[in-house]
Amino acid sequence: MTELQSVSDKLDNKSEGKSVLEDKDKVICNNAADEYFMGIKEDLNQAERLVSDAVNNLVINFRYISKLTESHHEMVLAIERMAAPEGNSCINELLEKQMVIANQIEQELEMAITSLQFGDLVAQLLAHTTRQVEMLNVELQRIDRQGGWQGKTESEALDSIHSGISKAVDVVKNKSKKKPVVQQGMQMGDVEVF
Amino acid sequence: MAKTILAVDDSASIRQMVTFTLKGAGYEVIEAVDGQDAFDKASHHQINLILTDINMPRMDGLKLLELLRKLAQYKNIPILILTTESSDEIKAKGRAAGATGWLVKPFDPKRLLEVIGKVIG
Repeated sequence: MTELQSVSDKLDNKSEGKSVLEDKDKVICNNAADEYFMGIKEDLNQAERLVSDAVNNLVINFRYISKLTESHHEMVLAIERMAAPEGNSCINELLEKQMVIANQIEQELEMAITSLQFGDLVAQLLAHTTRQVEMLNVELQRIDRQGGWQGKTESEALDSIHSGISKAVDVVKNKSKKKPVVQQGMQMGDVEVF
Repeated sequence: MAKTILAVDDSASIRQMVTFTLKGAGYEVIEAVDGQDAFDKASHHQINLILTDINMPRMDGLKLLELLRKLAQYKNIPILILTTESSDEIKAKGRAAGATGWLVKPFDPKRLLEVIGKVIG
């Protein structure tokens, strides 16, 4: 029988006068709830690790492509210099096309710099959410320790539990730092020089 | 001689993107992983501009800004903030602490170089 079932049964039985909740009963944040919170934190950590791994790989790819583009650019310029004395219009035309492609790749790489910053934004959001989950868990445990359910009727006990949960959420809201990331997309952010 | 920029961010990917952009434009770049690291490096190098994040472990960007502005050699050095934060409240704090400008992430490399060129002279 889970602790939640046990508490629920106690509340059911209380109306029949069989049993009441005691102050030592963990009503709000029992082991099942703690495990649930732990699961959420593990999921958030896993998401953080996956994003971090993906960003690291993308940055390595980005740097490699950038180096290859640089080499390609230099090679085109070298071929252009060698071909110039011959005045071969076909080669010159091909080289011009190569140069256009090289410039386009460079532009795309510049745009990728903006997109590749997503890892930092996501990591900050995940850290913020993890802190909130941790604080809520701690607050619920604290309210549980305070108890206050002893000798109450079923509806009084439920009211007390609901009020405890609301109080915990309020405390977390007040304690939480402001959300560090408000961006909804990866467009360039505002710039201001004072 | 190339000007030296101190790039401060706890995110490795942001540091790499900043360094890639700045080195490509001919600047020397020194990286720091948080405010404390930046303060130590700023004390040992001749820096021409500092580009710093706000939310970092050990020492945040605003504290770094305050400490650097107290040092004679960093009184007039441009210090730009590069952060996800964009509220008027925190911008006002940064301005009061002596920030030269505010850039909200994600940054665009061309725009970053424009702003740096403008403030570094």
